[in-house]
Amino acid sequence: MQFVINQLYKAFDHKEVLKDVSFRFEEGKIYGLLGRNGAGKTTLMNCLNGDLSVDGGSFYFEEHGTKQEVRPEDLGYVLSTPTVPEFLTGREFLKFFLDINKSSIRSPKTQEEYFELVHLEPSDRDKLMKDYSHGMKNKMQMLVNIIAEPKLLMLDEPLTSLDVVVAEEMKQLLRSLRDGRITLFSTHILDLALDLCDEIVLLSHGKLERVEKSQLDREDFKERIIEALRGDSYA
Amino acid sequence: MLKTLRISWEIQTTYRVNSILYSLKQVPGLRRLLPEQLYQVRCLKVFAAVLSFIWGILKLFGGKVLYFMLLLDLPQRFYPELPPQQIYLHLLLLLTVIGTIIHTGFAEPSYQRYYATCLLRMNVKSYTLIQFGWEMFKTALGFLPLSLFFGWSNGVSLWFCLLFPFCVVGGKLFAAAKDLRAFERRGCVIMEHPWLQWGSAAALLILAYGLPLTGVVFPAWLSMTLLLLMILQVPLSLPVFYCFQSYRQLNQRVMANFFNNTELITNSAQNNTRNLISEGGTVSENKQGFEYLNEIFVKRHRKLLWRTTWIISGVCGISVLAGAVALLLFPGIRPNVQEVIRHTLPIWSFVLYFINRGTGFTRALFINCDHSLLTYSFYKQPKTVLRLFQIRLREITKINVVPALILSLGLDGLLLMSGGGTWIEYLVLPVTLLSMSLFFSIHYLTLYYLLQPYNAGTEIKSGTYQVITGATYFVCYMLTKVELPMLLFGLLCIGFCLIYSIIACVLVYRIAPRTFRIRQ
Repeated sequence: MQFVINQLYKAFDHKEVLKDVSFRFEEGKIYGLLGRNGAGKTTLMNCLNGDLSVDGGSFYFEEHGTKQEVRPEDLGYVLSTPTVPEFLTGREFLKFFLDINKSSIRSPKTQEEYFELVHLEPSDRDKLMKDYSHGMKNKMQMLVNIIAEPKLLMLDEPLTSLDVVVAEEMKQLLRSLRDGRITLFSTHILDLALDLCDEIVLLSHGKLERVEKSQLDREDFKERIIEALRGDSYA
Repeated sequence: MLKTLRISWEIQTTYRVNSILYSLKQVPGLRRLLPEQLYQVRCLKVFAAVLSFIWGILKLFGGKVLYFMLLLDLPQRFYPELPPQQIYLHLLLLLTVIGTIIHTGFAEPSYQRYYATCLLRMNVKSYTLIQFGWEMFKTALGFLPLSLFFGWSNGVSLWFCLLFPFCVVGGKLFAAAKDLRAFERRGCVIMEHPWLQWGSAAALLILAYGLPLTGVVFPAWLSMTLLLLMILQVPLSLPVFYCFQSYRQLNQRVMANFFNNTELITNSAQNNTRNLISEGGTVSENKQGFEYLNEIFVKRHRKLLWRTTWIISGVCGISVLAGAVALLLFPGIRPNVQEVIRHTLPIWSFVLYFINRGTGFTRALFINCDHSLLTYSFYKQPKTVLRLFQIRLREITKINVVPALILSLGLDGLLLMSGGGTWIEYLVLPVTLLSMSLFFSIHYLTLYYLLQPYNAGTEIKSGTYQVITGATYFVCYMLTKVELPMLLFGLLCIGFCLIYSIIACVLVYRIAPRTFRIRQ
């Protein structure tokens, strides 16, 4: 399976944020989406998630040479600021999500197994989510996004404000989930991208480009990325 | 002082001008016409400044026009037996006292105050006094022409009409000075005891409108003397403002209250609504999916939704009972009451406008539920959007119908007690009120689904939404001016509500799956 973006174009008034975004993402890989502040990373993800309408171009899945339209259930989107319905407890949110998506979950687990997956403490599972910490909300958001096993999992700077332990747990989780799906991980922390991702993709001047790592050691690779991003204008 | 005045004026003007430009950008059609660098275009800024000035003038007089018309002029119809001058002065005195209790205009928390005192670190004392002085000047200026017009038309002498605005200013200075003394002695801010404030205001309100029902009104000389005594408070209160030393501490307290103990200005509305989430609330085991979500939502927001509805319903019930008691005790008023009920049906649209819970319900829906769930793709699917619309329509209809039902049955009862009507009037009266209630339920929910006015920061960012809600208020207000026989108005109203409801539901089914998104 591949996820194909073809000449995607998005402008706000006269400001062209995404000019000619074309890329082919491969199944089983974590892609690190790098770009300067305001480069359009979130706009790209919002367009793919259907939150913003695109002004041109298309995107679709391709499997064995056949194009497949992107359906909402094919996408998971984890935001940098975790947004969960705060009037529910973690367990109620999970039950609600499992009820709604009953038919599309291929290998259902028990509620407790799901909570274990994201290391949410038993004592926290029945608390209102308005009393959750940032990290706990992030775990819940991540959990409901991975339960339905979306084909494309997008994460918009999800680890930026997590403590080291939770960030490490999340990284492990993402690595364990890479098979069978495409993971697109946006960040502006270069070391995090190099540490977690299989491929590095730059969003610069409204276009996506892969950074070839061949023959380069980590420091040279970092230098090349920074050099490529330096040319982009300030946000 | 002059520098403080200039800077605070500039902050206020810039804030208003930028808000106007932003709102213009949100109006469909104008969005494409306006340039991208909107805030740099001088002529647009001048245009917005002119609009802001006009808005300032409208605000200065508009609210006061409504105040005089609705609270002083309109109620006089209910007391045709009493001398107009006496009842006018009676109401003027008690309402002025209520005004000083609930709104002094002193050290009021606002975004501008936050920018000036917290971000720009202006001198709090200078800023507060300049702002208050400006508020008092506007108060006097706004009241003067209306006092002259309404006072003169009610037979009040010219000299008193000219002095009345200064009575209001004196009352407000007295109340603000009292607050300052209380803050100095006990460290408490009046806004921290809303029950005391609103309780006193409610008691005075009952006195204002209830006493005349029994034929008792303050003599004109007493009302005038008490009002004039307020002017004496001006020289007595001014030293308190000058000597008060804790302006910074007071500012911190009122701003903390304003932002509900959060430092982030943008989160204040969000936090206020979040704080309304109640713990507990058991959910029946057999509920699944969206019904499950809805039931928990309603139970966890019972303070905002049902408790308020029960309070409103209680007030409606007590008002009806008070009316019934008055009819029993004073048979002389029966023909008047019968006449009023028969010819003032349009006014009830204004009452139902105020008691409907549509905006509170949709705001809580967005901030505490949809704001987060709309980021999940499963929640944006058309079938989900429509299913939830059905469930929510049922909920808001239930919430709004309770006070409407009490009013409907109550008015039927009062009509019966005051001399009776025809059988069709007994039928049309409640059906009209219930139709209005249904209309407001559908109207606000439909606007929410079609325009989804909130952005990710939970602020209302749709110019169209604001225009429509403003127009709704305007139409309801204008209906208070309409005098139509009950049957004619009732049948027209029922027909309109039914047709509107059908069209609204069709629009939601066709358009909402596309429009019900988080505004970027």
